[in-house]
Amino acid sequence: MIIDNVSYSPTDHEAEKASNSYLMSLVAAIAGLPLPIINLIATFIFYMGNRKGTYFVRWHCTQALLSQFSLLFMNSFGFWWTVSIVFSDAVVTNYYVAYVITVILFNLIEFIATIYTAIHTRRGEHVRWWLYGDLTNLICPR
Amino acid sequence: MKKILLQLTIVIGLFFGTWLILSQVNWMKLLRIEKITKNTEEKLGDLFWEIYKDKEIGDTLVTKPVDSILTRICTSNQIDKSAIRLHIVDIEDVNAFALPNGHIVVNKGLIVEALDEGELAGVMGHELAHLQEKHVMKKLLKEVGLSVLISVTTGGGGGEVAEITRLLSSSAYDRKLEKEADMKSVDYMNMANLPPDHLANFLYRLGENAPDNMRYLTWVSTHPDSKARGEYIVEYSKGKSNKSRPVLATQTWKQLKTAVGATEAE
Repeated sequence: MIIDNVSYSPTDHEAEKASNSYLMSLVAAIAGLPLPIINLIATFIFYMGNRKGTYFVRWHCTQALLSQFSLLFMNSFGFWWTVSIVFSDAVVTNYYVAYVITVILFNLIEFIATIYTAIHTRRGEHVRWWLYGDLTNLICPR
Repeated sequence: MKKILLQLTIVIGLFFGTWLILSQVNWMKLLRIEKITKNTEEKLGDLFWEIYKDKEIGDTLVTKPVDSILTRICTSNQIDKSAIRLHIVDIEDVNAFALPNGHIVVNKGLIVEALDEGELAGVMGHELAHLQEKHVMKKLLKEVGLSVLISVTTGGGGGEVAEITRLLSSSAYDRKLEKEADMKSVDYMNMANLPPDHLANFLYRLGENAPDNMRYLTWVSTHPDSKARGEYIVEYSKGKSNKSRPVLATQTWKQLKTAVGATEAE
């Protein structure tokens, strides 16, 4: 994760909106558990609502949205694997337990990174995530 | 773009790498999951058996010969006999079924209907195969679900115990599992020097008589396509050795039949 020193200083209102895009995914993730799609939908709605905002706001809404995509894949797979164990004849294996731990680990990293980014973005700092930051640069027009 | 693809590959590699490394740990043992599963199976088996317990036949003239047949099958196939709990119950229906935790329940009606020990052994081999191949728990998990099973074992599903027991005693497994159990039974018979095709004879005969006494032919009525099953069992038995070494003396078999109330004609 990189904090860029950019010449642009967002207004307090912009910083609040950008920071909220991260908070939105966190709140929705907690409220929408165990359905992993909820946080993506919430972040997407927030993104749509701010797609005409300033570059700073749009950029952070996009980064927040992209970060939710990777979680969606790994969490959905884990969710349906668990459903098949609870409601059908699939059994708990070492691979399943290892998958759950891996997913928890990645979610935790994402969770901490999101809180960190929300705090720094609120202060008006431009936090660029490894991989997601570059992806956002690619798809978010100025 | 190249940089992004490289980063993406690293993230994906990191995820699968973590998963692969973590899956090398024996979590089943570490978290005692196997022990918990075994305890659940034990509890379920005991709960379901409770329903039939009152009807168990204790007469050694009945239990000993049937137990001898099962012992022969188990010892010839390296199956731990001490893990199998054989029960003969005073029920007229022609039926046998397996319950969790190694319970095999044989109805008196099945012994009455069997013409020789080979037929009885074939059906018992079929039920033993359901146990050995873990079909019983698979069926329960598929049709009842883990959540209900846990609720039953923790005393939360009083009315469901009878319903689940009925499911195990009077409904077939899916076609694939039934065929697997039939084939396994033929293998068991072959290893135990018992006639492998007598199970087919039993199915043919009961399949043909079915319309007359369907009410009592639970094992056949719940196991559809008896004739088709008989055919593939015969086909599968063809390549097997035909050596036959009876378990019971003719006199013991007759005594067993008399003890369960079978007439000469049967």
